[in-house]
Amino acid sequence: MINRILRFTVIFVLLLLLQVLLFNNIEFSGYVNPFVYIMFILLLPVEIPSWLLLILSFATGLIIDFFTGTPGMHCASTVLAGFLRPYVLRIISPRDGYEPGADPSMVIYGFRWFLIYASIIVLVHHIALFYLEVFRFADFFRTLVRVLLSSLFSVTFILLLEFIRKGK
Amino acid sequence: MRNLLNFLAKYNNLIIFLILEGIAVYLLSTGNNYHNTRVIRGIRGVTRGIEERVSNTRSYFRLRDISQALALENASLKNTIEQLGKKEDVTLLSVSDTVYHQQYVYSSARIIGNSVNRQKNFFTLNKGKRQGMSVDMAVTSGNSVAGVIVGCSDNYSVAMSVLNLDFKLSARIRSNGYFGSLSWEGKDWNHAILSEIPQHVTFGVGDTVETTGYSAIFPEGLLIGTVSSFEKSGSDFYRIEVALATDFRKLRFVSVIGNLKKKEQIELENQFK
Repeated sequence: MINRILRFTVIFVLLLLLQVLLFNNIEFSGYVNPFVYIMFILLLPVEIPSWLLLILSFATGLIIDFFTGTPGMHCASTVLAGFLRPYVLRIISPRDGYEPGADPSMVIYGFRWFLIYASIIVLVHHIALFYLEVFRFADFFRTLVRVLLSSLFSVTFILLLEFIRKGK
Repeated sequence: MRNLLNFLAKYNNLIIFLILEGIAVYLLSTGNNYHNTRVIRGIRGVTRGIEERVSNTRSYFRLRDISQALALENASLKNTIEQLGKKEDVTLLSVSDTVYHQQYVYSSARIIGNSVNRQKNFFTLNKGKRQGMSVDMAVTSGNSVAGVIVGCSDNYSVAMSVLNLDFKLSARIRSNGYFGSLSWEGKDWNHAILSEIPQHVTFGVGDTVETTGYSAIFPEGLLIGTVSSFEKSGSDFYRIEVALATDFRKLRFVSVIGNLKKKEQIELENQFK
């Protein structure tokens, strides 16, 4: 248990550093802003109590908000992603259910499953985030393009990180 | 009571979700607007150190560009001094004459946090109230417009970049003097839109767009950019795309300009509103 908490703390700090030091500084046309920190929400154990998941989501969002100077924006979208995660997990559950005590990782449930899982959560998070950012429905489709492009990059980076994690 | 407890137990997720989401939306609505930005930036003491370090690393990679820009600015300043020196030889101005009191104060600052890829971009300066910064001072890079200070803590200031959906600036075309309103559409960091120029005005691609002195924030005649394309929009006005002269990605050393007569101007204007 302690071991597990420690492991997630390390993952959390690494993702945070990666987001703040690297991905927040990508200046590529304004259309591509990957947010990989959401991977932390993806990796938490399947049987984590929902209240804990929500509070962890909130804390993650808040910390990212402090770094980007956008109070509430990342918070709101990360909490939404955390709230929907149990439902997403239920919908895409593998045929023989989830193994007790296992994390939702690529090693256990395969590439395809993880890709679908990551894509849904990232998309939900990014839609909420980008529309909250502009806070208007003018230029609806341009924001949508930003959402899709950024999601594409976020998912790619998350898969990449998951491969690295798998390799270890 | 029992039912209530059952209800709470059944929907506890939803309730926690709504509470947390409520807090987030509250933060979003109170903390994110134009004037309250300074509050949240004030709390960011912890993140500031990291921000400053990242910014230092980035500026290292851009030293060549930065030194070039500084050299250019130096050259133009030397030219100005030369011209002024010549003038002073022939005119006899008493320095204490109140009519000729200095209107603008200039000071320099370094940018330690910046973004161009959001819809509402701000940047952070390394000087604050103690160094004489105050809200509504103009920020320029070289001779071109960069932003306006919207909040100051003791040692830092936050400025709203031109690349912000909320940024509005009174601008005119240098060749004919017609003025309109400049804003950013959130599309790309090289272009802003100048609107409210009537359709009978003639101008061409490449014409210079500069500030008017109307807002009491920016001095008159600061460079904004050049006309890159224009089209007739539905009404009687042109919709002019302006290529911005400032490269916001490379923003590093800026001048901050304060207007000493701003208070007087605004007080007078308010009397006639």
